Amino acid sequence: MADVMNVGVNLEAFSQAISAIQALRSSVTRVFDSLKDGMKNKETLEGREKNFISEFQENLQAVNRDLNELERLSNLVGRPSESHPLHNSGLLSLDPVQDKTPLYSQLLQAYKWSNKLQYHAGLASSLLNQQSLKRSANQMGASAKRRPKVQPSALALPPQYVDDVISRICRMFPDMTIELSRPNGTSAVLLVTLGKVLKAILVMRSLFIDRTIVRGFNENVYSEDGKLDIWSKSNYQVFQKVTDHATTALLHYQLPQMPDVVVRSFMTWLRSYIKLFQTPCQRCGKFLQDGLPPTWRDFRTLEASHDTCRQ
Amino acid sequence: MGDLNSISLDCGRKPEHPEETHSDVGRTCELHVPVAEGKSVQQTVDLLHKKLEQLSAVKQGSFFVDCETYHAAGPTSGQPPKLLYVMHNSEMPLSCMAMFEGGPCLTADANFDVLMVKLKSHFQNAKGHKVESRGARYQYCDFLVKVGTITMSSSARGISVEVEYCPCVVPGDCWNLMKEFMQSFLGSNVPELPSVFTAKPEGLYAPADSTDTMTQYLELFSKVRKQQVVPGSTVR
Ligand SMILES: [Zn+2]
Repeated sequence: MADVMNVGVNLEAFSQAISAIQALRSSVTRVFDSLKDGMKNKETLEGREKNFISEFQENLQAVNRDLNELERLSNLVGRPSESHPLHNSGLLSLDPVQDKTPLYSQLLQAYKWSNKLQYHAGLASSLLNQQSLKRSANQMGASAKRRPKVQPSALALPPQYVDDVISRICRMFPDMTIELSRPNGTSAVLLVTLGKVLKAILVMRSLFIDRTIVRGFNENVYSEDGKLDIWSKSNYQVFQKVTDHATTALLHYQLPQMPDVVVRSFMTWLRSYIKLFQTPCQRCGKFLQDGLPPTWRDFRTLEASHDTCRQ
Repeated sequence: MGDLNSISLDCGRKPEHPEETHSDVGRTCELHVPVAEGKSVQQTVDLLHKKLEQLSAVKQGSFFVDCETYHAAGPTSGQPPKLLYVMHNSEMPLSCMAMFEGGPCLTADANFDVLMVKLKSHFQNAKGHKVESRGARYQYCDFLVKVGTITMSSSARGISVEVEYCPCVVPGDCWNLMKEFMQSFLGSNVPELPSVFTAKPEGLYAPADSTDTMTQYLELFSKVRKQQVVPGSTVR
């Protein structure tokens, strides 16, 4: 019964209240039954009326009595929906099939988890707001207040400049080919082919890399209509993992005043995957961990290790 | 067990479906696994399945590879008759491979078999020489493993294991990685880098077709074909 007390329901009163409702309903039924039957045969008309009225009064009193009783009990029952933190869903704990369906405990877990998530998201957002390095246009505008002499905004570089930066990077890494295209207006999309290992699609906004997706060398990078497919993930777990790490790298390499350095650093980092299948983990010395080769590359040393070995 | 204990191994690359040859080339490696002392072929296969399942590999249906032998009929005075092998692989249900011994190799539509029947005045089917390998297909992460029982005239002759690491297109690059994987379920039976790779020019990068894989199966089958059936508990 501990659970019952927790949710603020007096079960005893609850069951009494249910019987009271039943009693009330039957007394109300009796009122209408007697009204329907009308006056019963008696010797005198007076006797008939008298009898009918007293019966009617008696029935109404019974209704009144039952209603009062119900009102009294309903105060005892308590108000579970407001006293419980989970509101009405807390009543799930009263479900007698609880033993078979772990719905209530799962609900509690989810509740805790979402609370935690909200808390951490709050912390993260307050931390991020203190950083001066911003990515999006709005935040760039906000930081401009602090640094009045911000460049005309690296987000509005002429396409020619972007082309030059990319072709210079391309010349730096002979084992990497970069194809630049502008399928949607001025923003460039890069298709980077690294040796015979992988292909990466980088969606740019000016010189900022907005999004990256990495696929196998033998996987399709074009969708059926012949356009670069910037959405579908790789079929291979190893490249899904590399995509995750590359996204992390995009967030790591940030230098808003020198976007070309950022692109170059990212490409240098990406290039370290050239020996993805040939390098053992620098931490544990093995090639495979859970069926995956060392997919992590340190941002500074470019050292290869398994995702699980890097901490 | 003489020949059964020797390992034959070859590697190649192959597409998963003939229609999309560039979508899923990988790198394969077949080997002939020795049957453990005092165990039957089936027991050894079961043992391999168990080991793979312990690795949490997921079973994904079955596979088969078969091979029929044809003798070239005709004026081959003095010389031994040339052999033609016709092979099928369940990975490529729409295709059929025809290979001359040591000679050219062609990939054809599956109804090539019908053509062979029409050509029986030139090529005679060597009945009883049909070899096939059938078994289960397992997926573990990006690896594809096929454990097959090699049978010839309905007697089990050995076990073939094909391992493919799908994300990598250059066989030599992921050899060490594959070796480590194979060690995890084959123990010490893992061979050295097969000579097929070192012999190949241009960084081991073969065209995206299945001929390499099938050539390896063919070599494996030839080995099995030559091997004597030894009476005893090890081979059934
Ligand atoms: Zn490791």
